[in-house]
Amino acid sequence: MKRLLKNPFVLFLMIALLMIAVACSDDSSSEGSSDDSGDASGEDGSSDSEGLSGTLEIQYFVGGYGDSWWKEVIGDFQEEHPDLEIKEHAGPNINEEMRSRWVSGDPPDVVYIDGAGSSETQMVEDGQLMDLTDWAQDLEVDGTPLMDSFIVQPSDFDGSVYSLPLVFDTWGTWYDIPWFEENGWEVPSDFDSFMDSMGQIQEDADIAPFVTTGQHPYYFLRGMLYPAFGAAGGDELLNDVITGAEGAWTSDTVLEVMKKVEKMQQEGYIDEGFAAINHTQSQMNFLLHDNAYIPVGFWLPNEMESDKPEDLEYGFVPSPMNDAGEPMAVVPDMRPLAIAEEAENPEAAKAFVEFVFTKEYASLFSEHTGAIMNLQGVDLESNENVPQYLIDANKMINDPEQAQIYQKPHPMSADLETPISDSLVSLMLGNITAEEFVEEAEQAAKEYRNSQ
Amino acid sequence: MRFHIPYPYFTGKSDWMVQSKKQKYLFLAFCLIPTFIMFSIFTLYPLFSGLYYSFFDMSGSSQAKEFVGFDNYIKLFSDEIIPATIWHDYFLVITKVIGIMIMAVFIAVALTQLKIKEAPFYRIIFFFPNIMSVVVIGILWAFIYNPDLGLINSGLEFLGLENWTRAWLGNENWALTSLVLPSIWAGIGLFMLLLMGGIANISKSYYEAARIDGANEWQQFWKVTLPLVWPQIKISILYIVITTLNGSFIIVQVMTGGGPNNTTHVMGSYLYQQAFQQYNFGYGATIGVMILVISLLTVLILQFILRRDKVEY
Repeated sequence: MKRLLKNPFVLFLMIALLMIAVACSDDSSSEGSSDDSGDASGEDGSSDSEGLSGTLEIQYFVGGYGDSWWKEVIGDFQEEHPDLEIKEHAGPNINEEMRSRWVSGDPPDVVYIDGAGSSETQMVEDGQLMDLTDWAQDLEVDGTPLMDSFIVQPSDFDGSVYSLPLVFDTWGTWYDIPWFEENGWEVPSDFDSFMDSMGQIQEDADIAPFVTTGQHPYYFLRGMLYPAFGAAGGDELLNDVITGAEGAWTSDTVLEVMKKVEKMQQEGYIDEGFAAINHTQSQMNFLLHDNAYIPVGFWLPNEMESDKPEDLEYGFVPSPMNDAGEPMAVVPDMRPLAIAEEAENPEAAKAFVEFVFTKEYASLFSEHTGAIMNLQGVDLESNENVPQYLIDANKMINDPEQAQIYQKPHPMSADLETPISDSLVSLMLGNITAEEFVEEAEQAAKEYRNSQ
Repeated sequence: MRFHIPYPYFTGKSDWMVQSKKQKYLFLAFCLIPTFIMFSIFTLYPLFSGLYYSFFDMSGSSQAKEFVGFDNYIKLFSDEIIPATIWHDYFLVITKVIGIMIMAVFIAVALTQLKIKEAPFYRIIFFFPNIMSVVVIGILWAFIYNPDLGLINSGLEFLGLENWTRAWLGNENWALTSLVLPSIWAGIGLFMLLLMGGIANISKSYYEAARIDGANEWQQFWKVTLPLVWPQIKISILYIVITTLNGSFIIVQVMTGGGPNNTTHVMGSYLYQQAFQQYNFGYGATIGVMILVISLLTVLILQFILRRDKVEY
């Protein structure tokens, strides 16, 4: 053996073999990944929607809503199309895990856009989503056109539709009903009563009444400020602040809203530790009665199910940042379903998207997730599996005297949201004034406009 | 160059003791080529592609990219957060080097020179954080710093120091300083072991000679121990600097995410935010190039400063 190793030819051969091995292993892995993408779909042709074949890849984020609804819907779709091979890519980190597939131009067919690491706006800007404008016009849900059945219309990107809003979520302010009743605390309906209530709670319970997460400041931005902007300036102001229109952030209306936040801070109503904690810690504080109000979306009860104290009962109000006498504002936060521009099996993808939008699945969605699917006329009240807070919230949202729905054009770009969120934390810590905040936000908007 | 077959194998001569040049080179190639290939794939390729991407405007989540020349570099120099991230990195480097080296030297000397019976026990205790993942350390310390339930605030309250309690990681003035403690705690063990090895190698006769000459413990430490473990100290400092510049990202990301209001962002965490949260992958790559340049410069300068002749007695 020793002798063999000393032979230069043998050595050379070994090096060559090693290099071949390295080269081959590289090849085989890339082949494997292309196999993964399900190239079978393209070849067999799946034009007949009755008997779809090939592979359908679905990417969905699993967060506060869980995945049981998805499993059921996908199971039903599979039953209807037994020849179709459905591949699910799901999990709490799925957006990160699938990123390389999107980058390499080999995306899944259908994508549910939600959770960390996903951005509908960015995907549209990158041209990754299929233009559904014409196709969606012809869709029907239980006999009525889909576009007329939505509670909230799809995001509008210069007149084009790239995604269909599946989940109707909305941020609001949560409180514990029995705890409030026990102490005789008023549930607020406008900013003044909100401040009074927080003052009372601070006095009675000796706690900072309001908490949110400072590690993810967008909880406050979307949960409190968007409704405040909606209530103060309607859809137009919402549109301007989200698109970073010139002068929007320094406008008097925005400054007035930010003054309200400043006042909350000065009165000591915002928990001083908020900047240090993440969203689950802040929600935990709320459950433990360390604080009384928290702005979160409809997923809160589902997300905190295992930690909920037995006697706690979730109460939900649209964030009361409106002036007295005005209706409270609700700004829906939609989680859309979209088809990849480079989907390998677009027929199956379209069939699946169409399959999902039915009232039956909408009702089932509320049962499974405690949230609402974006379809009108779904009877939640007669469904005993739907949680009470959702029925109450749904009723409140649909009562125009109590709450007004405002729509944002599309989610705010991360390039604008990040610097604004940073300054927001400073304002809520009392390190800058409302005036300084709006100047910083306007500067961020200017930089955002320049980068477009 | 003409290729010829080394003679011992084919001429029938059996001069095995003499190794031909060819043989030597082939053996070297056998050792080096696989490593070089791996190095090229996993280090050089990402390095150069990072440099390449820094000239593009791309989101990092699709194939679309647009060549923008030096735009990203111009943005880098006008970005107000960048100087702060560099300062934060060096703040961590300086405090970690001082903190870890003082503690590690102190403990290493104590465990080797003071003849403590429980020395092996302490060695394990101090080394323990090194076998823990930095992510775990970050989460653990985030709980220790928790404003409501954390050990530190509870401890201060217990001692009657309520005024000192604060939301450590949520305070713009204290968050960065609060990251130093877990970083030092996590780093002592490894360097303690390294220095203990160095100290153990010092011949006892030097200490005996020093004692005979009337040197006290303190003088022995300064005149004998420290000069003789200088190579280990030098390596330790270099290692701390490099790992901090490259790796402080993890502890920042886990404990504060760069907040509040960017007061704890280091270069690495800001890179991550730009590349993967704000979808400015090209700009992220530019920050990566900056980190490389700064790290290289720092190491070169350190090499120069720490240049001190090896001491032999």
